[in-house]
Amino acid sequence: MSNLNILVVGVGGQGILTLSRIIGESALRRGLKVLIAETHGLSQRGGSVIVHVRIGDDIEAPLIPLGECDLMLSLELVETLRYLNYMGNNGVIVSDTLILRPPIPRVKIPSYEEIITTLKNTGLEVHLLDASLEADRLGDIRVANMIILGYAISSTLLGKYIDIDSVVESLAHIPGKELNIKALSMGFKFGVKH
Amino acid sequence: MTYEEILAEPGSTVLMLGNAAIARACLEYGIGLASGYPGTPSSEIIEALAYASRKLGYPYVEWSINEKVAFENAYGAAISGVPSIVAMKHVGLNVAADPLFSSAYTGVESSLLIVSADDPAMWSSQNEQDNRWYGLHAYIPVFEPTGAQDARSVTLEALKFSSDYKHPVILRSVTRVSHTRTNITVGQLAKPKLYGEFKRDTSRWVLVPSNARRLREELIAKWDKITKDLSDNPLNTSEGPRDSRILVIGVGVGYRYSREALQRLKLLDTVRLLKITTSIPPPKSLIVRELEGKNIAIIVEEGDPVFEDQVKIIAYDERLDTKIYGKKTGYIPITGELKLEDITKALADILGLNYRVKSSVRVNIEIPPRPPVLCPGCPYRSVFYAIRRVIKKLKVNVVYAGDIGCYSLVVNPPFNAQDTLVEMGGSIGLANGLSHTLRDSIVIATIGDSTFYHAGIPGTINAVYNRAPMTILVLDNGVTAMTGHQPHPGTGLDALGREARRIKIEDIAKASGVDSVLIAKSFNIRDVESKAELAIREALNGKVSMLIARGSCILTAIAKSRRYKVKRPVYSIDLDKCRACTICYNAFACPAIIPRGDGKASIDPRICTGCSACVDVCPFEAIQSIEVVDETWRGILDEVGLDSE
Ligand SMILES: Cc1ncc(C[n+]2csc(CCOP(=O)(O)OP(=O)(O)O)c2C)c(N)n1
Ligand code: SF4
Repeated sequence: MSNLNILVVGVGGQGILTLSRIIGESALRRGLKVLIAETHGLSQRGGSVIVHVRIGDDIEAPLIPLGECDLMLSLELVETLRYLNYMGNNGVIVSDTLILRPPIPRVKIPSYEEIITTLKNTGLEVHLLDASLEADRLGDIRVANMIILGYAISSTLLGKYIDIDSVVESLAHIPGKELNIKALSMGFKFGVKH
Repeated sequence: MTYEEILAEPGSTVLMLGNAAIARACLEYGIGLASGYPGTPSSEIIEALAYASRKLGYPYVEWSINEKVAFENAYGAAISGVPSIVAMKHVGLNVAADPLFSSAYTGVESSLLIVSADDPAMWSSQNEQDNRWYGLHAYIPVFEPTGAQDARSVTLEALKFSSDYKHPVILRSVTRVSHTRTNITVGQLAKPKLYGEFKRDTSRWVLVPSNARRLREELIAKWDKITKDLSDNPLNTSEGPRDSRILVIGVGVGYRYSREALQRLKLLDTVRLLKITTSIPPPKSLIVRELEGKNIAIIVEEGDPVFEDQVKIIAYDERLDTKIYGKKTGYIPITGELKLEDITKALADILGLNYRVKSSVRVNIEIPPRPPVLCPGCPYRSVFYAIRRVIKKLKVNVVYAGDIGCYSLVVNPPFNAQDTLVEMGGSIGLANGLSHTLRDSIVIATIGDSTFYHAGIPGTINAVYNRAPMTILVLDNGVTAMTGHQPHPGTGLDALGREARRIKIEDIAKASGVDSVLIAKSFNIRDVESKAELAIREALNGKVSMLIARGSCILTAIAKSRRYKVKRPVYSIDLDKCRACTICYNAFACPAIIPRGDGKASIDPRICTGCSACVDVCPFEAIQSIEVVDETWRGILDEVGLDSE
C-alpha cells in the first residue's frame, strides 16, 4: 500500500488531536506504521491547529511537504483555506461547513459563498458537510470530528487504510464513547449515500 | 491527558508521543527521581512519569519551582547514586546553566540525564536557541534521537552512558521528536534504584579553586576519552556504498529528513548516509573514516550549524579536502524547522540533479489570521479590561512590563497591555530599570503566579530594597496554565496529585516589604478597578505596590463544576436593551460574544462558559442569565488552585 499523507486542521479546542490520534490508533490496529506530528502549546488557545498524519512503511520525516497532502480533514472552513497550499493536485478535502470568526476586533472574514467558490475553483475533490450542525443535534458539537472521520472512511481513500471496526475499537477508552460511535456511523452513512 | 500507554505490556507496540517514549525509557532503565519545570515541548515527560508514579508508587517525581532547582534536585540525587533525570524546554537550561557547568566538573555517581527540548520554529517560545552549544560549552555529551521512533532507545543508551562514565548527558529533543506520536515497541520495566548514599569527598564535591583546577584537568582528559569512545558507539550508523564519492550526514532529526529525501531522489543505493545520534562531542575518528575519499559531504541538522562547524574543524585538522555543505553554504535554511521539500531540493541542487518542489494549490482570497486568544471566560479578560479603564481615568502614561504565560496574549488588541516580553521573570526585572529611568510614566509589571514563584521573587525584593516604584500585577489563576495546568507552590497539589501546603503570594510580598499588597477578584471588574486604582496611586507616590488578581483559570473551573455537578449559567443578550454600542465584542472581546448583522450582540451558548464577567461590561444591562446564578459556581470562580481527586 502506498503512503498516505493526511492533514487534520481546525481551531484549538475542536478535537483535532483526538481525531488524529484515533486515526493513528486505528492504523496501528491494522498493523500500519504511523507518524503524527501534533500541535501543542500556545496555538491550542483557540488558534489555528494543524496536525500532520503520515501512514506508510517507508516514511521517516514527521511533516508533510507542501503540495503533497492526499487528504485534508477540516473542522472549519477558514482553516480549510489556510492550509490549501499543502494539497497535491489529486488531493481530496473533507470539510465541515462551519465558519468560526476569529475573536479579534473588527476582523474581516470571507463569506460562505466566497469560500465555497474558491474551493470549487481549485479543481480539487471537495466534500462539504454540516458536521458541527449535526453533532450539535446529537447533543455535543465536539463529536463533529467523528462525523468527519466516518464520512472520510466511507467516501475517500482513507477507507483503504482504516475501517469503522478499527476506529470503534480505538474509541473504547474514550469518555463518551457511545456518542462518538453514533457520530462516526452517522458520518459513515452520509458518505455511503454520497 | 492520560498516559496509560506508558505502562503498556512489555513487548507490545503502542502509539506513543516522543515525550512519553522518553518517560517509558526512564522506567525501563529504573530511574529513581525525575524533576522538571513545565515548558513546551518538554512538559509531557514529567507528566507521563507522574502518571506512572501514581500507579506504580515510584519513581519520585516533582514539578520544581524553576529549572535551576529542578536541575539541582536531580543532580543531588545523582550525586547520591540514584539515577535521575531533569526535563525542561530549551530556554529552561539558561536558568539551570550555573549548576549545569559544575556538574561536568564534579561528575555524578549514577546517571544524570538532562532532557532539553528545543523548539525550532518557535511554536511556543521566545527564541530558537540550539542547546547543543551547551554540550560543547560545558563539556557534556549530547545525544539526539532521530525521531519519536527511537526516542525510547536513545534515552536508554544515554542513561547507560551517563552512568558508565559517571558524567551528565544532555538528551536533546526537538518539537518534532517530543510531539510526534508513533508506533513504539516497549521493553521490560526495571526495578528502580530509589535510595543512595552520600560518599563524602570534599576534593570532588567542593569546587573551591584548588579542587576545581584539578578537576578541570581531569575533565579535559575525560572529554578526550569520551570523544574517542563515542566513535564506536553503535547509535551512530552508516548505510549505502562505502566507496561513494558523496556523504550525507543526518544529525538527530536531520537523519529522518535526509533518509526520506534520498529515497525520494532514488539515491539511497548510490550515496553514503551517516546517521549521527551522539553529536557532541563529534565522534572524530568515525567522521574521519567516513570523510576519506569523499568529494562532497552534506550535513543535515535542525537548529544552528553546530555539527557542520565541528566537521569542518575535523576536516581542517586532518587535511581532508572534502567540500562540506550545510547551513552555512546557503542550501539549507538556518532558521526554522527542517522541511522535507527543502532538504530534497537542497540535496538535488548540491548534487546537480533536477528536482522541482511540487506546485501547491494557490488561492486568491484574503485569509484572516487566527492568533491564539484568551479562552472565553478567562479571568484575565476582565482584569485587563478593568486596568485599562483605571489608566484612562487616572490619565497616566504607563509602560506594561510583560511576562510569559497565557496573559501574554493581551499583547493583542483590544488590550495592548504587554509592552515588553523577554523571558520568565523579565517583567519585574525590567521594571526595575524602567522605573529608575522613566520620568513621565509609571511601570506596571504583569506576571503570572507560576512565573512569580519561578523568577519574580528576587526582582520584587530588589525593587523594594533599591526603591524602584512600580505596581506589580500578579495574575493568580492557581495553575501554570499556558503549558497545561501543571501545579506550582500556590496550587495546593503536588505533581502526583497529593495535597501540598500552599505558599501564598501575599505572604511572600509582605515578607519582602512590598509597601501595599491588595487582592482583587479577577472576575469582578469593579473590585479590580477599585484596588488597581489604589495600587497605581501608591506607585505614583514612589511606592512598590502589588495587586494580586485572583480568579480561577476557566478551564480548571469548568472541570471542577463538572466534578461537583455545579450548574453553570448561560448568558444571553436582551435585544430590546442592546444598543449596538459594540463594547462587549470589541473592547471586552470575549469569543462567545459575536456581532450580529445589525451591530447588536449575541452570545453563542456553546462558547459561553458562564464566567459572568461581561455582565458589568454592558452599560445598558442587556447581558443577563436566564436562571439565578448558583453561588457555588461563583465560589469556584473566585477560588484558585486544584483539589485532589
Ligand atoms: C525559562 C522558561 N521556562 C519555561 C517556560 C515555559 N512557560 C511559558 S509560560 C510559563 C508559565 C506560565 O504560568 P503562569 O505564570 O502561571 O501564567 P498562566 O499561563 O497561568 O497565565 C511557562 C512555564 C519559559 N518560557 N521559560
Ligand atoms: S487556559 Fe486559563 S489562563 Fe489560559 S487563556 Fe484559558 S482561561 Fe485564561
